[in-house]
Amino acid sequence: MLLIIALMGCFSGCSNEPTPTAPQAESALERVMKQGVLRVGMSTFVPWAMKDKTGRLIGFEIDVATRLAQDMGVNVEFVPTKWAGIIPALITGKFDIIIGGMGILPNRNLKVNFSIPYDYTGMSIVAHKKLAEGFNSLEDFNKPGVSLAARLGSTAVTAARRFMPDATLSLFDDESQAYQELLNGRVYGVVGSAPTPGFQALKYPDKLFLPLSDTFTREPIGFALRKGDVDTLNFVDSWIRVVEEEGWLKERKRYWFDTRLWEPMIQ
Amino acid sequence: MRYRKYLISRLDIFIALLLIAAVLYIGYRINVGLHYKWNWKIIPQYLFRYDAENEKWVANLLMQGLFTTIRLSAWGTVLAMFIGTVMGLCRISQSLFKRLVSGTYVELMRNIPPLVLIFIFYFFVSEQFLPVLGVEEFVRNSSWPVQWVMAVLFAPPTLLNEFLSATVTLAVFEGAYITEIVRAGIQSVEKGQWEAACAMGLSKWQQMRYVVLPQAFGRVLPPLTGQFISTIKDSAIVSVISIQELTFQGMELISATYLTFEIWITVALLYLMLTLPCSMIVGRIETYVNRFLSVGLHDFVRRG
Repeated sequence: MLLIIALMGCFSGCSNEPTPTAPQAESALERVMKQGVLRVGMSTFVPWAMKDKTGRLIGFEIDVATRLAQDMGVNVEFVPTKWAGIIPALITGKFDIIIGGMGILPNRNLKVNFSIPYDYTGMSIVAHKKLAEGFNSLEDFNKPGVSLAARLGSTAVTAARRFMPDATLSLFDDESQAYQELLNGRVYGVVGSAPTPGFQALKYPDKLFLPLSDTFTREPIGFALRKGDVDTLNFVDSWIRVVEEEGWLKERKRYWFDTRLWEPMIQ
Repeated sequence: MRYRKYLISRLDIFIALLLIAAVLYIGYRINVGLHYKWNWKIIPQYLFRYDAENEKWVANLLMQGLFTTIRLSAWGTVLAMFIGTVMGLCRISQSLFKRLVSGTYVELMRNIPPLVLIFIFYFFVSEQFLPVLGVEEFVRNSSWPVQWVMAVLFAPPTLLNEFLSATVTLAVFEGAYITEIVRAGIQSVEKGQWEAACAMGLSKWQQMRYVVLPQAFGRVLPPLTGQFISTIKDSAIVSVISIQELTFQGMELISATYLTFEIWITVALLYLMLTLPCSMIVGRIETYVNRFLSVGLHDFVRRG
């Protein structure tokens, strides 16, 4: 079943290549200004975007998108979307922009336009204490018979295939399912964007551990926009440069990734 | 109806004990084997929470999801009834063309996995079809009361397009089963009824309208209600196109809180809360209809 979703998610975008300007003749920017609302596609991903106790969205990406809409003088509307289908949803005009910690990948870039990076992430591995005993390098995991889990359609999949091609990889729609699989002892480790694997290791210290001391990739993260829309792309690029220089991005990043001050908001 | 007094035998007690033991053992395994930290405390706040600003209780994520599920199933059923009635009449029509069209529709819907259908509809059909109608634009630019009514009946303006595509998809899918129910219901009316009505000098349409359909309606009521329950259950599938119904909200919450077991169990209970009363109503309707018609209706076209 997940496989079907995966295939649909991957191919519904590739198999039928819509003309770049099909859904709208005007730029997304014009439409946003006219309607007074910026529609942002995102997916739940701790601590990038998640729902707090009251059902409000919070997280690093949410702050970024809210500030972007604020600086445009419009309201922001979030459209929670399954990660596997998020690019087709953008192409078919379900929202104007993806602000969801999307890693800039060449094959993704063939379908959508990316802004300049506003954030960098790296992949890390959290492993099962019993199964992966003594593992402390990527080579240890790169063996037939070693199984890993990751989130469907994420850059974790790309990284795992590149660095550990011999391991078997099982894919899940949500990261939480991948971690559940690990806790159940059905996989040796989970590959995911830092800092979540580290948080999981802290949460279950008697079952999980971090085999690598640091992330093993460094990936640029950008906003994704529909192709053929230069105006909007230019606007978000400039906006990223501005808030970068302000130091605002760094400050937000520190709050969401290096502190746990927000924990009480979701539990 | 005469009720027989049930006696509980030793075997029953033994089986009941076995079942309880099995449940407890599974719970124990999850606790010990998985080191799963149960945390039921925080679940109620996702159903309802106290809004300190407005000083009242409001529905939170899971309840909102449940309401969306109810809306989706209700509208989906209404639309599916319409499609099913029209197509059901086409299935038994004199014209070959109508029979072919409706036959093709039923066979296509029943032989393609609903998941695949939903994707095809969502990304291809609804994209070409809904923006043309301009529903979303209309609602966005309409006055506050209109927006509010639309939000209560359907979905907030932001999610309206998605909601409508999901409803249409669900309706087209369920409509195939309702088509078969309608067809079987009409065909179950004895030939003699048609002949008698014909002898009274009624036209073909009048025979259908005054004699056959009322009888068929009574007979198809139980399976139709059963189909409504199926619609509620099938509505979970649209979570894959990010409609914020109960299953989707549950998954989102799991992504945020990692409380896999608690949330899935809660979601399951919420679905049961919806479907069990419906099942009881089906039972009621069946006894009622049988009393009047004294004809047991066969359970046609049920899905496994």
